[in-house]
Amino acid sequence: MNDGAWKVTVAKDLEDLIPTFLKNRKKELDTLRVALAAADFEQLRQLGHRMKGVGVSYGFDRVSALGKSIEEGARRGDRALLETSIDQYGDYLAGVQVSYE
Amino acid sequence: MSDLAAAGRMADTGTAFRVLVVDDDPEMAGFLSWLLTKEGMAADTVHDGEAAISRVAVAPPDLVLLDVMLPGADGFAVCERLKSQPASAMIPVVLVTALEDHESRVRGIRAGADDFLSKPVRREELIARVKTLRRLHETRRELEVRRLGAEIQHKETLRKAFARYVSPQLAERIISELAEDGAPFRREPQRVSVVALFADLRGFTHLTESTSSAEVVGMLNEYFQAITDAAYRHEGTIFSMAGDSLLVGFNVPFSQADAAQRACRTARDMVESFAPVLQRWTEHGGPPTGVGIGIASGEAILGNVGSAHYMSHTIIGDAVNTAARLMQMARPGEALLARPVYEAAPDVFAAERVSSRGEIALRGKSEAIGVYSVRF
Repeated sequence: MNDGAWKVTVAKDLEDLIPTFLKNRKKELDTLRVALAAADFEQLRQLGHRMKGVGVSYGFDRVSALGKSIEEGARRGDRALLETSIDQYGDYLAGVQVSYE
Repeated sequence: MSDLAAAGRMADTGTAFRVLVVDDDPEMAGFLSWLLTKEGMAADTVHDGEAAISRVAVAPPDLVLLDVMLPGADGFAVCERLKSQPASAMIPVVLVTALEDHESRVRGIRAGADDFLSKPVRREELIARVKTLRRLHETRRELEVRRLGAEIQHKETLRKAFARYVSPQLAERIISELAEDGAPFRREPQRVSVVALFADLRGFTHLTESTSSAEVVGMLNEYFQAITDAAYRHEGTIFSMAGDSLLVGFNVPFSQADAAQRACRTARDMVESFAPVLQRWTEHGGPPTGVGIGIASGEAILGNVGSAHYMSHTIIGDAVNTAARLMQMARPGEALLARPVYEAAPDVFAAERVSSRGEIALRGKSEAIGVYSVRF
């Protein structure tokens, strides 16, 4: 998936906030995996919805796009879509590169 | 999260534009708050609808940024409640909804939302929308301040105009009635319990025959200045000034439990205040004169008497007629009091100044009334 090299450019004044933002996303990924294992679609929907809202706001459009897929997958009970989306989220968080301007 | 958590508290409650951010996601709420704070605004955050309503009641913000999806009362319900309360109805509400969710936007409009922000929130759009509403808010506030200023100035002008002709209390009442229904003197006549005081410059008619008109007006002004000041000092309401006589009412239009005492003190104050003026007149060869006063109490009708072109807000009735008759009988420097007035205020005058005039049959009255004389 894009060689794991996702590049994101974020406004310079947000720089101090980004480490915390990414730490929260990693916690979120763990929670998504637990919820998927438990087939807790309501929690998956809520988490996806939250990702959709927060991603673009910080400049991480990919987080919002994956959040939208997860929300949709949870709403439809589409386990395959959920697994794919969560895996892609994991890859993305592992490879995302942030620069500031 | 510590930076955002810190931003989640109201950053500056001074004169900054204050925004309440309502979002169930603390991370998102904190981020929006951080962005607004960076723009020089003061942002506060809450995470559910009930908390938003409580916060607005306690510390009304200048704008509410309200997410639609909230636990408990959702954004629509919160918006409706804020817009239904007079205290919060004017606070702009920006609903944060999904861009594609047209149904939510329609519901938001019905709930009274002032604007919408698409989710996910883009920084530039957020700032642009909030700044636009801030400008509108400031313009509206400025207009309101100007409107209030003009209203106060208008009232002050009216007050000054009326106060030249009627007592301050009566001027206040006329102005308050203006505010109630747009026209003065519409209030229905009412039956009131009054203490009426008539004062008159005894022998003044003779004076007018031997003095120039300019001098007469000057002397009358001096006389009225002294006795109207005395009436105002004791919070009497002047109802009429005709020739050289003055009608002052107590316990009207505002209740005065000690109306009789106030009337008696006013009589004493009128004579004492006029004394230096009278002395000066006498020194300059003026005629023998002095204030004669009559005071009576009882029921009267307070209302507007006159025509569409000329109207007088006055008191009429037996107490007023009796006070007028007593005034006509009073000698210069004397006050004649109907018995109930004296009995309600026996301590106002030194005993040696008071004497009973017995029962007197006043012109136009079927029964004699008890009268007391006070000489000054």
